Amino acid sequence: MVDKIKYPQYKFETILSRNQRRHLEVDDNLMIEIESLSKSFGKIKALDNLNLDIKKGELLGIIGPNGAGKTTAIRITCCILKPDSGDVLVDGMSIHQEQIKIKSMIGYLPEEPNLYERFKARDLLSYFAELYGVPKGEIDSRIEELLELVNMSHRAEDRINTFSKGLRQRVGIARALVHDPQILIFDEPTMGLDPATAHNIREFIRELKGDKTIILCTHYMDEADSLCDRVAILNQGRIMDMGTPQDLKSKIRGDLILNIKVENPCWDVVKGDVVKAIEGFSTVEDVELVDNQYTISLKSKNDIKDIINVFEGNILSVNTKEPTLEDVFINSFKQ
Amino acid sequence: MKFTTITKWELKETLKSRKFLTIFILQISVLFLMLFVFNAFITNIESQEGISITPSLSGFASLSVDDEGRLFSKYINPELITVTHASFDDSMKNLNSGKTMAVVLVPADSLDKIRNIDTIEVKLYLDQADPKRSVVRDEVNNTAKILAITLSNSWIDSLTPQNSTPAVVTEENTGESLPMQIVTKVMLAILLFLPLFLFGNMIIDSVVGEKERKTGEILMAMPINSSDIIIGKSMAVVGVIALQVAIWMGILLITGFEIPNPLLVYLLVIITAVPVIGVTVIIAAYSKNYKEAGIGLTFGYVAIVGILMIPPLIYITNKSLISNISPLTMVIRLFSGDVIPAWHFLIPLGFVIMVSAITYWISIKLFQRDDVVFGPRPGLIRLILEFGGLKRRGG
Repeated sequence: MVDKIKYPQYKFETILSRNQRRHLEVDDNLMIEIESLSKSFGKIKALDNLNLDIKKGELLGIIGPNGAGKTTAIRITCCILKPDSGDVLVDGMSIHQEQIKIKSMIGYLPEEPNLYERFKARDLLSYFAELYGVPKGEIDSRIEELLELVNMSHRAEDRINTFSKGLRQRVGIARALVHDPQILIFDEPTMGLDPATAHNIREFIRELKGDKTIILCTHYMDEADSLCDRVAILNQGRIMDMGTPQDLKSKIRGDLILNIKVENPCWDVVKGDVVKAIEGFSTVEDVELVDNQYTISLKSKNDIKDIINVFEGNILSVNTKEPTLEDVFINSFKQ
Repeated sequence: MKFTTITKWELKETLKSRKFLTIFILQISVLFLMLFVFNAFITNIESQEGISITPSLSGFASLSVDDEGRLFSKYINPELITVTHASFDDSMKNLNSGKTMAVVLVPADSLDKIRNIDTIEVKLYLDQADPKRSVVRDEVNNTAKILAITLSNSWIDSLTPQNSTPAVVTEENTGESLPMQIVTKVMLAILLFLPLFLFGNMIIDSVVGEKERKTGEILMAMPINSSDIIIGKSMAVVGVIALQVAIWMGILLITGFEIPNPLLVYLLVIITAVPVIGVTVIIAAYSKNYKEAGIGLTFGYVAIVGILMIPPLIYITNKSLISNISPLTMVIRLFSGDVIPAWHFLIPLGFVIMVSAITYWISIKLFQRDDVVFGPRPGLIRLILEFGGLKRRGG
């Protein structure tokens, strides 16, 4: 009888590195994944376990007060700063391993364009095109195209130190686009610009939308509202809220806000009754009274007429408005 | 190889800058002026009179002398005291009116007294109000002593007559004296190395300027390594130095200075520029602003001058092999016409490569650190400990 030969049992298991697992799990639709990112400057915590995903072709707005960590998050994504912990994956590549590849995918426009003053606009673009590795034969045509795009062809041979802030910003945008990057990161691109120039830059960003993945840091809520697909509200290095501007606005009670300013001070005496009466309408979600102004959140405008009648003509002014991102922003800080 | 792009553009923009060109031409002009001073110095040192490096005391004090036979006054040092001859009465008038500080009266019968070996009584009248009177007193006393010794010697000679005609010795000079060698060889070599220290501000502006103007943020967002940035910027400055040294050597050759093996000398000067710039980049990479960089540069350059200058001094005194680590020693040896074995050149070359590698490595490491570039910047001791692996970053 032949003894059964016992073969050692091997259990084969593929041991994947964290990064390899990430690659397998990666969502093809994601361009930037910020994972548990923390960064401190001395005792100041700029980012505190920040998590954020940005889809391909998406325009994500980051809003937040000064010192919220917006610029730090952007600088880490651009591989300018190193995080204390956490990672950023750009198209599946980690900032800890593939810095050069990631940098070549990003066009970055800092808050101040910070350009070399002694350069001529054309030379500056040429210099950066060479550094980005744009093929020599394509540099001139690319620069012409960009100068035209930012409407700077007529100032191409002028030195940067002769430009206004708006013109510098335009050259800055051209510089960020010189290598036709997949990702664009704009940090306060319209800060300190006159309304016309700011409008032009916003239009320009709108044109780029869809074609490129864009991160837009801004203090201007209307800018974020009109341009962004999604908005993240950042404070003290953490995301406080995130969603489409519409979603965020809908989180504020009501689709419509009715502001009624009353004239007669005697209304103060009966204000409890008035509030109660207004709250009785089915479309009313919330009533707030500050000084002599009633702010009424409504689901629809059906009851507006009846609500106004409650005040029996003691009205100084009436206006309606839809909730804005500014309301969302202020509301999140109230909370 | 992105550093070549940075070097190319830095050089291009620097050479286009009017401010830079003005400074560049001014530097050449100052070097050219130094050449004139150097030439004048050599001409003087080669002349029969030689040169005095002590300041002249001519006309420091004045003395009026009543000395008919000029016996006394001819021994007074004319470089210290201005002597005027006048009668005693006139001399005293001058003293009282402040035109002279002192009066010396030598008796009219002094020659007879000498012949009779009698004592001569010389009288000195001093203006007590003048603080320089002690100088005059000392000088008159010295003159009296010299006169006494001279007269004694002359009297002794007269007692024992002999042939006192001195032997005529003719001096024929061959070769250069040691001081001349030091002047022509060492000074000329130092002049050639001077341009290395004239462009520190350029690299400071190039690196610290990136921080101050905040253009560094964009540069660091480029798909290039920190090493490309540091080496690219440094090589641009080395290029400018190479240009100035070439012009400077050309001027020296045209003006008749002998530079043996000029190409080798040129290469030795240029390779020295690499670690000099390396040290400057460390200072620039660590400095927060121009002010800090300026202070650092002063200390850095004092250290570099020491490292460059001490080995040649060692070589002059004992010709030790280690003194060849300084390229300046090799240039001085070339100027001296030494037969230098080829392997001796490996010593300064090795030293330059080693210092360059260390300085550029430190500069790149510093520039890679976001806390050094953007702040808050760690202290120097902490950084040294971190580089030495004795402390963990952020720990």
